Amino acid sequence: MKKLILLIALLISCVARAADPAIDFVDRLADRILTEIVSTEKTKAEKEKLFHDTFTEALDLKGIGQFVLGTAWKKASEEERTAFLAAFTDLTVKTWANRFDMYSGQEIVFQGTRNAERGQIYVDSVIQDKQPIEVIWRLRPSKDSYKIVDIIIENVNMASTYRNEYRAFLSQNDNSVPKLTEELIRKKNELQETN
Amino acid sequence: MGKKIFIFVFCVFLGLSGCATRPTDPEELRIYEETNDPFEPANRGIHAFNQAADKAILKPIAKGYRAVVPAFFRTSIGNFFDTLRQPMHFVNALLQGQFKDAGCILGRTATNLTFGFFGLFDVATDAGIPNPKNDFGQTLAKWGWDGDGGPFVMLPFLGPSSVRDGIGTAVDGLGNPLGWALWNEAELNYGLLAVDSISAREGALDLLDDLEKSSTDYYATLRSMSRQNRRKKINAVKGEQAEDEKPDYEADFSDIEWED
Repeated sequence: MKKLILLIALLISCVARAADPAIDFVDRLADRILTEIVSTEKTKAEKEKLFHDTFTEALDLKGIGQFVLGTAWKKASEEERTAFLAAFTDLTVKTWANRFDMYSGQEIVFQGTRNAERGQIYVDSVIQDKQPIEVIWRLRPSKDSYKIVDIIIENVNMASTYRNEYRAFLSQNDNSVPKLTEELIRKKNELQETN
Repeated sequence: MGKKIFIFVFCVFLGLSGCATRPTDPEELRIYEETNDPFEPANRGIHAFNQAADKAILKPIAKGYRAVVPAFFRTSIGNFFDTLRQPMHFVNALLQGQFKDAGCILGRTATNLTFGFFGLFDVATDAGIPNPKNDFGQTLAKWGWDGDGGPFVMLPFLGPSSVRDGIGTAVDGLGNPLGWALWNEAELNYGLLAVDSISAREGALDLLDDLEKSSTDYYATLRSMSRQNRRKKINAVKGEQAEDEKPDYEADFSDIEWED
C-alpha cells in the first residue's frame, strides 16, 4: 500500500512538473541570466556577449521584429528587413542588458500559466520588490522548447510599446525603414558611449 | 514667475494647437484611432517644453538631491508625502465603492502615523498592507467615463495624461486637505510642493533616463506606456481583466510568419 501511494505521489509530481514546462523555461532563463551573467565577476564586454547569446536564443526576435514594424514590414525589402532585425536585436539586447544590470536580487515568484491565442502561453509571475511588480511572459512553442514573444510588465507590453514608438518614428520619417534602422544603430552607439 | 510660465505654456499650446489631420487610408485610420491623439502637434510642443524645463531645472535638482541626501532620508521624505495624500485616496476609494481599498488606506494610514512615526516610515507596506492610491480619474471611470478617458493630453510639468485623468489630477490637487489647511501659508505650501516634486522626480530618474536613451521617439514611448499602465488602474476599480488592448494586439500578431 505504502509503495502504491509513493508511486502515485511520484506520478503526480512528474505530471505537475511536466504540466508546467513553460514556467520551467522562464525560471531556467531567469536563473541563467542572474547566476551566470549578472552576479559574476566577468567584464562588461563578456557579459554583453553572454546577454546577446542568451537573448537571441530565448526571444523570438524575428517574430517580434515583424510585430513592431507592422505594415512597414510587409512593404520593406528583404535587405531592409535583415538590416532592421540586426539593429533592433542589438539595441534591444543593449537596453535589456543595462536593465538587468540594475537588478538587485529580488525573487521571482511564478503564479501559473494561461492559454493565449494561436497556441501560445502566458506565464504569470511577480517580482517581489517593495511594491510587487507583475510580469507576464508570452511564449510560443518552438521545437521542443519555447521562444519569448512578448513581456508584459505592470500591464505595459513591450511589443506594443516598441510598435507604437516605431510607428511614430516612421510616420515622421517618410515611412522609411532604413531611416529607422539608422536611428536604432545611432541609439545603440549612444548607449555604448554613455555606459 | 508662476504666472509667466503659465502664459508661456499657454502661448506654446495656442501656437501649436493645430490638430493632427485625420487620415483617409483605412489602415492609417485604424492607427490614428488607436493612437487617439488628435492634439498631437500641441502635445508634442508641451512635451518639448516639459523636456526643456526638466533638463534645465528639475532633473539637475533631483540629481543633486540624490547625491546629497542619503537614501534612508529620501525614502522617509517619499513616505511622508505618500501619507499626506492618503485622505484624498480614501475619499476616492469611497466614491468608487472600493470599500476594501478604503479599509486598506485607513489601516495603512493609522499604522504609518503611529508605528511609522508620523508617516516617515512605511511599516504598513512591510506588514503587507497594499497601497491602492485611488484617484479621481479612476472615480470618473467608475462613474461611466471609461475607456482611455478621451484623447491623450500632455500636461505642462505633469506629463502624459488624458482629458479625464487631467481633470482627475486637477480635482485631486484641489481636494488635497493639506493645501486648504495651509491656505494662508503660501510659502510653506509651495515649499512642500517643490520638495514633493523633487522627491518624485528623483524616484523616476533611472526609469526615465533609460527610456529616453533607448527610445527613437520618447514622446510616443511615454504616450504608449502611460496609457497601458493607466488601463491597469482603471481595470482595477472596474473589476475588469487586464490586457484590454487584446483585440488590436492579437490582430497584429495574426500576420506574423513564425519560424522555428
